[in-house]
Amino acid sequence: MIYYILLPFAAILLVVLQTTLADIFFSGWLTLELSLVAVIYAGFRLDLVKGITLACVMGFAFDCLYGATLGLFTLFYLLIFLMVFFVSLRVASEKLYIIFFVSLICSLMESLALVLLYAFVFNFDLSDDVLLVSVLQALLTSVLSVGFFYVMSKTEGLKYGKTIQTPQRTWTG
Amino acid sequence: MFLKNYRTVILVGAIIAATLILLSYNLMYDTGTSVLKNMALEAATPFQKVFNLSVSNVKSAWKRYIHLVGLEDENRKLKSKMAALQEELILYKEGNLETQRLKKLLSLQDTYPHRFIAARVIGKELSVISKTLWIDKGKTHGLEPGMPVLVSPGLIGRLTDVSWHSSKVLLLIDENSNVDVLIQRTRVQGIARGAGSRGCVVRYVPKIQDVREGDVVVTSGLSNIFPKGLLVGKVSYVNRLDAGLFSKIHVAPFADLASVEEVMVLAAEQQERDRREMKEE
Repeated sequence: MIYYILLPFAAILLVVLQTTLADIFFSGWLTLELSLVAVIYAGFRLDLVKGITLACVMGFAFDCLYGATLGLFTLFYLLIFLMVFFVSLRVASEKLYIIFFVSLICSLMESLALVLLYAFVFNFDLSDDVLLVSVLQALLTSVLSVGFFYVMSKTEGLKYGKTIQTPQRTWTG
Repeated sequence: MFLKNYRTVILVGAIIAATLILLSYNLMYDTGTSVLKNMALEAATPFQKVFNLSVSNVKSAWKRYIHLVGLEDENRKLKSKMAALQEELILYKEGNLETQRLKKLLSLQDTYPHRFIAARVIGKELSVISKTLWIDKGKTHGLEPGMPVLVSPGLIGRLTDVSWHSSKVLLLIDENSNVDVLIQRTRVQGIARGAGSRGCVVRYVPKIQDVREGDVVVTSGLSNIFPKGLLVGKVSYVNRLDAGLFSKIHVAPFADLASVEEVMVLAAEQQERDRREMKEE
């Protein structure tokens, strides 16, 4: 229960932190998507209900604080979570290169979805502006994901004595 | 049974549908700020403030560090710039002082109805045995030995050695200098002889003559070397205690001879001589 109580605050804190860090390191031209990393982590490690909640809350917080249309990143994060969740049922999530590629694909998909949404809904072509930024951002998110997974696996190892094994998870959680 | 088997699918589908509805609604109606959004923003504000404060402090510390790194270089540059500016300032001051001195010199032309030749002092000798100045004008500029040399406000000496492009000025205070003078107030005449650091001493003035400290001494014009009325100095001390008929009158020159840099040579006699030569021709 404590998870669901603290989650909104943690989500808000994470979004604020990533905005601040992005402002410090990249002067705002590149988004440091720690929230996406958290969603990918949830996709690999959490059960379905907890993960969906995390994705929705994280997406909603991002929408609210990033100034995006309400529901946009909520939907993206939800879809990304589901995609990662189903991928994690099939592949060994302990391998860091898999984490890297999954994160890369997720980030690129997010950028692509943004470009398509803006093109079809707002009739506004973002492709020129987003292309280079999205590639860099995807690489950055992938590296962050790998680092985050590595740290978390070490933490889990210290806490439980071994890391959570993916094959034990079922899609019903 | 169906619901139990597909509970997860239904849950996921419902959530996706809800999210799509939320997005579509916001895209269609552009609701702007909602209560939930406001709540999220309100909740984020303290975090943002804390982060912002921390970032500001870190940025400020970083800027200070960067500033300190560049400070030495900047300090060196500023010092060099300051030195250059000081040099420039000295030049300007020098120019200003020169202008003031030249103005004073030029004012002599208004005071005395003579022709003056300006010259710059290029050397100075104020030793015990000789008190002379060396100026940068000579025969080619129309100077001749004996011509009076003045600075504002009066006489300082006369030309002795005149070469083509430079001349020597025998100062009033030189022991070899003798000038016919008179006390302006009482018209008492005498001869002012150089006395070194004591200035001049006016001799051959009878003790009974009325001479007081502070009396102005001017040239008498009797010797035909100096025109009449050039300021020489001021009586500083009258000595009547010595044996003899005459009192010793100490005169302090008006001009500070140690700091003379430009002088005016009175060339009126030359002018007159030129005129005479022209008439004779």
